[in-house]
Amino acid sequence: MKNLSILVVDDDPVLRHLLRKRLKIAGYSVESAEDGYVARDLIHKQSFDVVLTDLMMPGDIGGLEVLELAKEKDSSIEVVLITAHSSVDTAVQAMKKGAADYLEKPVNFDELFLRLDKIANIQTMYRSAVDLRLALSRTEGEAGQTIQMLELLCGKLQQSLDEIETTLEKDGATSEERVASALAIIRET
Amino acid sequence: MIKITPTELNLVAQYIQAISGIYLDQSKTYLFETRLSSVAEAHGCANYQDLYNLAKRDLSKKIEKEIVDAITTNETLFFRDKGPFELLQHKILPEVIDARSGKSALKPRIKIWSAAASTGQELYSIAIVIKELLKDSNDYTFTLLGTDISDAAIAQASYGKYNRFEIERGLDKKNLQKYFTLLGDSWKIKDEIRAMVNFKKLNLMQPFSALGKFDIIFCRNVAIYFTLADRKTLFTKLAGSLNDDGYLIIGSTESLTGVCPLFVPKRHLRSIFYQKK
Repeated sequence: MKNLSILVVDDDPVLRHLLRKRLKIAGYSVESAEDGYVARDLIHKQSFDVVLTDLMMPGDIGGLEVLELAKEKDSSIEVVLITAHSSVDTAVQAMKKGAADYLEKPVNFDELFLRLDKIANIQTMYRSAVDLRLALSRTEGEAGQTIQMLELLCGKLQQSLDEIETTLEKDGATSEERVASALAIIRET
Repeated sequence: MIKITPTELNLVAQYIQAISGIYLDQSKTYLFETRLSSVAEAHGCANYQDLYNLAKRDLSKKIEKEIVDAITTNETLFFRDKGPFELLQHKILPEVIDARSGKSALKPRIKIWSAAASTGQELYSIAIVIKELLKDSNDYTFTLLGTDISDAAIAQASYGKYNRFEIERGLDKKNLQKYFTLLGDSWKIKDEIRAMVNFKKLNLMQPFSALGKFDIIFCRNVAIYFTLADRKTLFTKLAGSLNDDGYLIIGSTESLTGVCPLFVPKRHLRSIFYQKK
């Protein structure tokens, strides 16, 4: 089982079934939608790592809108567009809007699996970076509390030492009185 | 990747300390190699001695800049470690505002400096705290300055665009939606916050008294890369750039004990800040 969950969105039933089947055989967990509307509902209901969507679909929700919906839901969802050769320009526009990649029709499955492996690698690295950052901030938090406590303690001790120095140097007091005052400061500390 | 020899290591480490103050542990050869190899290769250098020679000869200082950009660490987050920002919101800002209000006919000016601004997250976080606290109040003039030694970091800070990894954590969804615009895969700071701040390049090893005096200085997690001697110099200079009743905030794991006797640590809730003696 591969560790990516994929949503396939395509109005062409032949391609949709083919994609679904090949991805399942390759070990991915796959859901599919026959248009942008069904995709929208699935994106809201479930969580996906990757949305693989046709660029041109009937209705108001095409590939670009699916991209926007996915990114709105969770910016970590990667979107790969499937496009006809004639709409490569639109696909490039989509990349600017945050799509991870695009594939030209007819879909070359070796190429698709390669892209998905890359996405899986990036997501793994991303997660480990987030984990490391979390670990770092915990460690930093713990160390910070200790250091700050010591810092305040040092400041307080320094203040006492200064007071003791003044007390011991005080004019007009006997040695006994000075020592007694100094001891009193030490006991207070 | 080009391997570094012990002689080159020594030479390059000293050079980096001289240009940036950053003291690199010479046992960490991988750090030099991973960071500098591509700079060397880009300039057609076969080894680090060549890169050093080239950098020294380059009067435009372009290569020096590239080396600084490559070596500096820009690990920073929005609201990194909540403590200092809560401190700012609940204690420091109200106190500074109180101290500066009604003292003259002029609108009180409050100056804040993020001395190791990196890619800007800290200063923008400060600006967001001020915006949240004072809304659109026009009663005070804030000067928010961010400085960093790296040109690349300053360029990104000025542009105010952050990718998903840079934006996540620290920044809650409410502030993200309120103060950023989604731009493709990235988020860009809104103009109302961008307009509150200024960024410029500054090497903390160089004199900076020309910046004037500040009410609040954030200098977090930069001195950790300096030697003790350089830290002493830095914090002494910072004391000179802070108003007598000003506030200094350093990194949560940093300490000024044995570094700078001019400051005393003070506590508010779970955070500490420093003021001049």
